[in-house]
Amino acid sequence: MRLNEDPAAFEAFYRRHVDAVMRFVVRRVSDPHLAADLTADIFLAALDSAHTYRPGRGTEIAWLYGVARNVVAAEHRRTTRETRLTSRIAGRRLMDDDDLVRMEERIDAERQMRRALEAMRDLPEGERAVLELVAIDQLTVTEAAAALGIRSVTARVRLHRARRALENVASPQAVYVEERA
Amino acid sequence: MTNFEERLLTALKEEIGTRTAERPAVAGAPGRLGSRRRVWGLAAAVAGVAAAATVAFTVSGGLAGAAYAVTKGADGSVEVEIKEFRDPEALEADLKAAGVNAVVDYLPAGKTCKGPRGNGAATRGEFRVSMGNRDGGMFFRIEKGQVAKDQTLVLAVSVGDADSPPAGTTLEIVEGAVAPCEPVDMPIPPDGKTDREPGGFVEKYKDGTGRDEGPSHSENFREDDGGVNGPAS
Repeated sequence: MRLNEDPAAFEAFYRRHVDAVMRFVVRRVSDPHLAADLTADIFLAALDSAHTYRPGRGTEIAWLYGVARNVVAAEHRRTTRETRLTSRIAGRRLMDDDDLVRMEERIDAERQMRRALEAMRDLPEGERAVLELVAIDQLTVTEAAAALGIRSVTARVRLHRARRALENVASPQAVYVEERA
Repeated sequence: MTNFEERLLTALKEEIGTRTAERPAVAGAPGRLGSRRRVWGLAAAVAGVAAAATVAFTVSGGLAGAAYAVTKGADGSVEVEIKEFRDPEALEADLKAAGVNAVVDYLPAGKTCKGPRGNGAATRGEFRVSMGNRDGGMFFRIEKGQVAKDQTLVLAVSVGDADSPPAGTTLEIVEGAVAPCEPVDMPIPPDGKTDREPGGFVEKYKDGTGRDEGPSHSENFREDDGGVNGPAS
């Protein structure tokens, strides 16, 4: 993929996925400024990792979600310990008032998904990761496996375990997740 | 699309424009660590991910069939591009001619040199080495004065299959004597959060900044006092 060398190819890629990436982000953070930063960071990380994308090994969006997961996970770990590192593109500085409102709307729209994610928090990481991508981000199991760099069969096993674990949790959110999955 | 999306697209396209082919990766504030050694591992391969795009050892014009090229820049920096992982002695000799003492080892996939190879060098100011991938080979640049006369650049590459990039790379600067390479199995990242990053290349920092499991990046590197080679003395 010549994503990181060819602006036209990148633009097409960006337009295909920017909406999905923003949705991915607002399912995980509720601060509109941070959401803008992370959106920028994810595409920057995609540029950095563009050479790792192999057409045919899972879909583009699975690959991009894999990148996005890493960016968001890094951000979550970071916030407890230090202030945000300066990115090459500060997403929040690209937002005007209208954008801010729209971002807040996006965040509101995904409130339920954030709660569902919260319900999965105590699952083992490997299982949670699969369930997250399948139930929350609507990837197929195969795509989720590609995003996580694991085999499909492994993803299936983890998904099964995660669902079973959630069955034992008597919370409406968990039931909701179960239905989506 | 909203203005935000358009502005971000513009900023990202500008970013593409400003990037050079090697996409230098530089990290770390100056002077934070007395001894700093950096270990780059192309972790994707270590983690078992078929990481990079299809790679053929195509010979581009610049290298004209050579396994590598060592180029000394006008600013005193030395650029090294390795296309094929063979003839490490010749690379060492050419680096020496360019003013950089070097020990280079190419190992089979899954093997690395037992560490530590020597005393990690305390570097003055910011230690800057840029590194990247080019068509399955590797590229790095050593800024002027980064490897002092009494120091040695120690490079160990775990060579992957013919059609894949190096499975792992360590690059460090050692002060004084360098131990010969004793091949050992490469440490496999534990099954957990960091394994099998789909972006392929994981960026890792272990320098107390909390950036210990960073986002996917073009290079994995790990910076700490000991690297994967054990604690620095």
